[in-house]
Amino acid sequence: METDELKKFVSLIYPLTVEEIDAFAECWHSITVKRKTILTAAGETERYLYFVLEGVQRAFYLADENREATIVFTYPPSFSGVADSFLTQTPSLYFLETVTASRLLRISYEQLQQLIKQYPNIQQLIFKATAFALKGALHRHVELQCFTNEEKFKTLLQRSPHILHLIPHKYLASYLGMNATNFSKLLATVKI
Amino acid sequence: MKKVNSNSLLDQLQSDVREIILQASALKQMDRHFLEQHPSADKWSVAQVLEHLNFYSSFYIPAIEKKLHLHQSVPQTQFTPGWLGNYFTNLMKPAAGNRIVKKMKSPKNALPSAQPDAGKMLEEFLRHQHQLLNLLKIANSANLGAIRIPTSLSTLIQLKLGDTFRFFIAHEQRHFVQIQNILHAVKHTVKEEEIFA
Repeated sequence: METDELKKFVSLIYPLTVEEIDAFAECWHSITVKRKTILTAAGETERYLYFVLEGVQRAFYLADENREATIVFTYPPSFSGVADSFLTQTPSLYFLETVTASRLLRISYEQLQQLIKQYPNIQQLIFKATAFALKGALHRHVELQCFTNEEKFKTLLQRSPHILHLIPHKYLASYLGMNATNFSKLLATVKI
Repeated sequence: MKKVNSNSLLDQLQSDVREIILQASALKQMDRHFLEQHPSADKWSVAQVLEHLNFYSSFYIPAIEKKLHLHQSVPQTQFTPGWLGNYFTNLMKPAAGNRIVKKMKSPKNALPSAQPDAGKMLEEFLRHQHQLLNLLKIANSANLGAIRIPTSLSTLIQLKLGDTFRFFIAHEQRHFVQIQNILHAVKHTVKEEEIFA
């Protein structure tokens, strides 16, 4: 079943009863998308929460003509989507695109609201997931402000060593807030 | 005509529009000077291209809106493009590698003014694109073949809703290739001016 991965992932965040998890999983629909497909444009309000089954996605902010700031990568198993726009139902500041061909599950905002009203535990689950996302976002803020380029590079590769092969290096450099040349230099010199 | 899956068509068109939004957002970050400069005396500036596109948006978006508002149609899994719809779409669609093979002249009524304000044109253009995205989302619950939209050529010539979306978006893609070409030319001339100054 396509939703098995989702169920497994969710149960690690917050335990649900069999009835709850079945009701939850039933509302997700799968889609497949080609690489370099924009799922959400800046100015659009995020309608879906995604769960990644296959592929890599990224959210980026268009800073100027030739500069995109990559905000976040998502890959299996994890949630995806422009989280702040989805939760607040206000226009997104970011573009969300697939980096590689992707298979995703998605649930609409209305359906999730319905589930939350009906099942207090699902509300708890979303609360927990949001809290962890906030924790991650704040921690990344510290890394970007206080770490040297080398420290940022090491931290990223310790946390997710596999992404070096999954994601084009120019996006990884942008994610770490450095230019592509510095990233290549670190790649050549830093031992992990 | 070859049938296509209605949902995949609408998904594809939505991602095409989002791609256009990305490109237009990049223009917003650019120096106004580049957007209002003409590559040569007889050629359009980027701002003029945007005004031309806004002209068609102001025609087609309300026309589609009117037909989708309170429509009673039932969505169909498959959509069959019409021959005229295919003809118009293929005429507009940029060739492989984002090239314009056959140049076309714009109808007189869609010619832009001499010096439109790039900032205003961009704001308006982006507003239209978001409306278009919403209409594509609403179209998920409509019959793309049964609803017909009059063309700007004549109210007597009507296209299927699905074809109107295809041809309208292909037209925008065509002009975004043109925009890239204009920017290329304009930046090049500026560089030369700097060198020879």
